[in-house]
Amino acid sequence: MAALEVQLQLTLHSPDRSFELNVDFTAASQRTALIGPSGSGKSTVLQAIAGLLPQARGRVRVGGQALLDTPRGIDLPARERRVGVVFQDYALFPHMTVEQNLQFGLRRLGQRVDAGHARRVDALIRQFDLASLRGALPRNLSGGQRQRVALARALAIEPRLLLLDEPLSALDSPLRKRLRHELAEMLERVQVPTLLVTHDPQDVEALAQDMICIDNGRIVDCDPLPGAV
Amino acid sequence: MHALFVPLWLTLKVALFATLIAAAIGIALGWWLARRPFPGRSVVDSLLMLPMVLPPTVIGYYLIVLIGRNGILGQYLDRWFGINLIFTWQGAVIAASVVSLPLVYKGARAAFEEVDGRFANAARTLGAGELEVFLRVSLPLAIRGIAAGVMLAFARAMGEFGATLMIAGNLPGKTQTLSIAVYEAVQAGNDRQALWLTLVISLVCIGVLVASGRLLQARH
Amino acid sequence: MTIFPRLRSAALVATLLLGSAACSAQELIVSAAASLTNAFQAAGKAFEQARPGAKVAFNFAASGPLLAQIQQGAPVDVFASADQETMNRAASANLIAPATRVDFAANTLVLIVPAASTQAPKQLGDLTNPSFQRISTGTPATVPVGRYTMEAIDKAGLTAPLQSRWIYGESVRQVLNYVARGEVDAGFVYRTDALIEPEKTRIVLTIPTITSVTYPIAQIASSKNAALAGEFIAFVRSAPGQEILQRYGFSKP
Repeated sequence: MAALEVQLQLTLHSPDRSFELNVDFTAASQRTALIGPSGSGKSTVLQAIAGLLPQARGRVRVGGQALLDTPRGIDLPARERRVGVVFQDYALFPHMTVEQNLQFGLRRLGQRVDAGHARRVDALIRQFDLASLRGALPRNLSGGQRQRVALARALAIEPRLLLLDEPLSALDSPLRKRLRHELAEMLERVQVPTLLVTHDPQDVEALAQDMICIDNGRIVDCDPLPGAV
Repeated sequence: MHALFVPLWLTLKVALFATLIAAAIGIALGWWLARRPFPGRSVVDSLLMLPMVLPPTVIGYYLIVLIGRNGILGQYLDRWFGINLIFTWQGAVIAASVVSLPLVYKGARAAFEEVDGRFANAARTLGAGELEVFLRVSLPLAIRGIAAGVMLAFARAMGEFGATLMIAGNLPGKTQTLSIAVYEAVQAGNDRQALWLTLVISLVCIGVLVASGRLLQARH
Repeated sequence: MTIFPRLRSAALVATLLLGSAACSAQELIVSAAASLTNAFQAAGKAFEQARPGAKVAFNFAASGPLLAQIQQGAPVDVFASADQETMNRAASANLIAPATRVDFAANTLVLIVPAASTQAPKQLGDLTNPSFQRISTGTPATVPVGRYTMEAIDKAGLTAPLQSRWIYGESVRQVLNYVARGEVDAGFVYRTDALIEPEKTRIVLTIPTITSVTYPIAQIASSKNAALAGEFIAFVRSAPGQEILQRYGFSKP
């Protein structure tokens, strides 16, 4: 089982304060939740793992492979890490159709979509039940549909790790319950080790097998749950 | 009619080239300065906006100092390449580019800043390098605001007078753009000519303003 | 009954004040050809000293644009142009008081080159030499020096060969500036202008003109300062005025 080992130190400066992150944890389960209150640094951890924070220092290893290893001078840029990310609000490219969104990670600038890519996209469309939405634009999709597209897009690149950043927090309560259920079903079928970031214990219960707790930029005991929501 | 057509054609030619140059530089700089802050960013921003605030004759003077035959750059252009930009339409293009650059830069930077940074990040996690992020994600999402800025730049380039007159002079057929032709017609007491020229410029500028306004509106 | 004497003296004071205000606010606006810039600025100062209470404001540009301004109603009192033609146009448009028109100075047309230039043309025809790619003079339609130049060029049969080499300046001073900066290879200006930039330009030829270069001056018909205008014109023609003009290289009309 490919474990995710994370040791990160970084300081974020903003006009009113500076935020120090210093975490050290290993996620051994297939689906792990990183839970903490808002402002605890959990999204920062996720971004750092994905390679989106160039100032992060430390180590990030997935299944023994180093994505970041500052002492040894390794710091892969985001585009080389093969880490799939489902962003809060999904960040589907508004000017591209569902199909184009799914294809995005498969072809580079100037390249054409070849047969292999097309097959992969078709498979994802089947897996996530998006057949009728191929040519749709994200603004015309429902919340649940967007979630499926976002997940499919992240998986299109056959990532070695899947990260979900508060996937349900933007939704209102009744919708959230239903989508949590759908997401749980989809994640069960995903073979890729997954780290899910959330502030909601119900997410943890439904979606993860294990949890790691964070507060104020540090890993803390999960008993009591930090910042009980 | 010919007297109207020649300056109009020249004006369009100069404005087109100037807009292309201003757009290339302005979009690139707008993109660069819209990313994360760096030390000196506000200084660079002020320098780029300067031509919009400086009087055109001051800009003309700086350009003369720079590209005049005995100028800082101009003397090398003359000595090494035999190129003299003064009194040429290419010189007019340079003058017009300088004054319209701030318009493209401002529009482009605002447009890029409005694009949610998460889209660029999503693209990066999907394997895109910076150039690809720019071309496939940021630019298409910012294009409306950029286009509006470019259109305003075009209108400005078309109307540029002070700096152009100082650099390119008033050579009918070669550098006498519409606005300079109006000036000359008024000076010569040729009111009918001045009126026609003014109408032509006004119509084109109104057209550009309406089009760019629509572009900006349609976004929201 | 005591009110009236009070009112009377108040009225008297008011009149005196108004009257003296009108007298001391006697400002003359003189539109003069660009080539007269330095000479007239000196003449203006001398006039103000000789005639206390008078102030002269100058407006220098090429004669054509100055005429256009007057036509459009600019509140000019005196107009001095660099050729008879512009003044003739003013006269036929009834813009001047014809009785006040008089010639007050003369000038010479010269060909100058940038100081750094090694050219030494012996005659006008030498301008066809390829080293003279850019030749400057005033815009013939509006600047007298351009017209004088084109007359001489036409007479020498050089119109066609030099056609594509002209760089027109908005005024004779701009032509001078182009030569001084080295942006053009040669330029036609008046001798008086060349004397302003002795270090940056060099006179290489004196050009005899078909029409002699004489400067007329006249009072503008709609001037509200006719008397003062007349005084200024008289001053310019008087010995002190002529001495100033000759100091700057002008000759007698």
